[in-house]
Amino acid sequence: MSEPMIAIQGLTKRFSTADGRRHLAIDDVNVEVAEGEFVSILGPSGCGKSTLLYMVGGFVAPSSGAITVQGRPVTGPGPDRGPVFQEFALFPWKTVLENVMYGLRQQGVSKAEAEARARALLDMVHLKDFADFYPKELSGGMRQRVAIARTLAYQPQILLMDEPFGALDAHTRTVLQNELLGIWERDRKTVLFVTHGVDEAVFLSDRVVVMTRAPGRIKKVVEIDLPRPRVRAELLVNRRYQEYIVELEQLIEDVHLEAAGA
Amino acid sequence: MKSALRKLGPAASTVLSLGALLVLWEILARLAQIDGFPPATEALVQVPLILGERESLASIGASLWRMFLGGALALCFAVPVGLAMGRNKRIAQALNPVLTAAYPIPKAALMPIIMLWFGVGDLSKVLVIFLGVSLPLIYHSFHGAHAVDEKLLWSAMAMGMKPVARLFKVVLPSALPDVLLGCRVGLAMALIVMISSEMIARQSGAGDLLFNALDMALYGDVYAMIVILAAIGFVLDWVFERVRRRLVHWAESRQDAMVPGGGV
Repeated sequence: MSEPMIAIQGLTKRFSTADGRRHLAIDDVNVEVAEGEFVSILGPSGCGKSTLLYMVGGFVAPSSGAITVQGRPVTGPGPDRGPVFQEFALFPWKTVLENVMYGLRQQGVSKAEAEARARALLDMVHLKDFADFYPKELSGGMRQRVAIARTLAYQPQILLMDEPFGALDAHTRTVLQNELLGIWERDRKTVLFVTHGVDEAVFLSDRVVVMTRAPGRIKKVVEIDLPRPRVRAELLVNRRYQEYIVELEQLIEDVHLEAAGA
Repeated sequence: MKSALRKLGPAASTVLSLGALLVLWEILARLAQIDGFPPATEALVQVPLILGERESLASIGASLWRMFLGGALALCFAVPVGLAMGRNKRIAQALNPVLTAAYPIPKAALMPIIMLWFGVGDLSKVLVIFLGVSLPLIYHSFHGAHAVDEKLLWSAMAMGMKPVARLFKVVLPSALPDVLLGCRVGLAMALIVMISSEMIARQSGAGDLLFNALDMALYGDVYAMIVILAAIGFVLDWVFERVRRRLVHWAESRQDAMVPGGGV
């Protein structure tokens, strides 16, 4: 294996709280993600897993430690790492099509080509009839599809997904998980996926990084050795899938108990 | 009654409520029999007479011109200041106390001092309108820029957008609904300050017409001027609301503007 796509070494993040105290959010995290790998970061809310993702994105600066992407240290955001947020973060004053074209236009792609690529992506996420709608006219699931298309449009090598399906209802979440997996299995981008859903993490990932809470440390890394392409109905009766679910549920429960005991 | 009003639509309900006000005015004035409170009909017949005079039309026009000038200057000054405060903590910390202290001061109360410096002419009046409009505009622009969703900025950053471009392409459009709310408050403020500045520096303008009529005990004219000013306010607000809706039709519906006005 050559150089990892993402290398995180000794990453630590401290925040100053409102009363001036220092709060240790992330403590000495070390992770490597290979090119084309789908890695989930699983943990309870408040474990700093989103902060970890934001630091890889270059949106938040680490207190100490190093993050490199393809060997280059991260100093700020860049189009090689495309974020997808739980809150969708679409530009509400732009139409669906304009949102998807935005990153391409930003990078100097001609209007005609940007539009052609954006329309192809909208077709892929089943929204080709909604190109001229504004985000407020769409449901949550549709908005997140637009956000994913918008990020895929400028072809980042890495997708940074921050609980992307956390704000959606259970049914829509399942549909979008299937779609994301379909897209990923086609072009195998490197994905760092933050979630607190055990089944979501197992269903999607090659590896699951389980984090503890306050401070956020890595509790365990679980390799998910399940065949691809993955089909939900088949997995649900798959013995190993069930074992992964149980193992991760127990790890998460331990995290909760430890936090309560401490 | 309520459902009947709804069926009639907003335009009809506006006519109805204004009509009711006029009828009430007429009845109360006829009952009260006070010199300073003429019936609606007596005031309303003066409206076309006032508007037919070149001199009074020119006065009203001069007022509106000063209002427009003061408002335009405020727009150029207050929006950038408010946006800068919203995006930069230090600027906000430096300016917010000034803003909070200056907000409740009636700007017309500054008119005598401004007159001492700049005379009783247009400059003083434009300046005081500028001040009156600037404060709500700064406040709402500040609020809007402060509330910009950080994830929108992050999304733009990931696409490679530079800081100055983000200010114009992300911060400004995000804050636009608030900026326009500030404009609407500022519009009402501009009218109020325009009239009160002309009350103090009596030289020309709609406020001057109103108080001249009052001095001469032409109460019909006084009320006619009030009606004209109300109509100007109503029309300006109606036009502004149309423009506002066109500009921010994309925004999620939020609380309607605080200023009462037409077209709700």
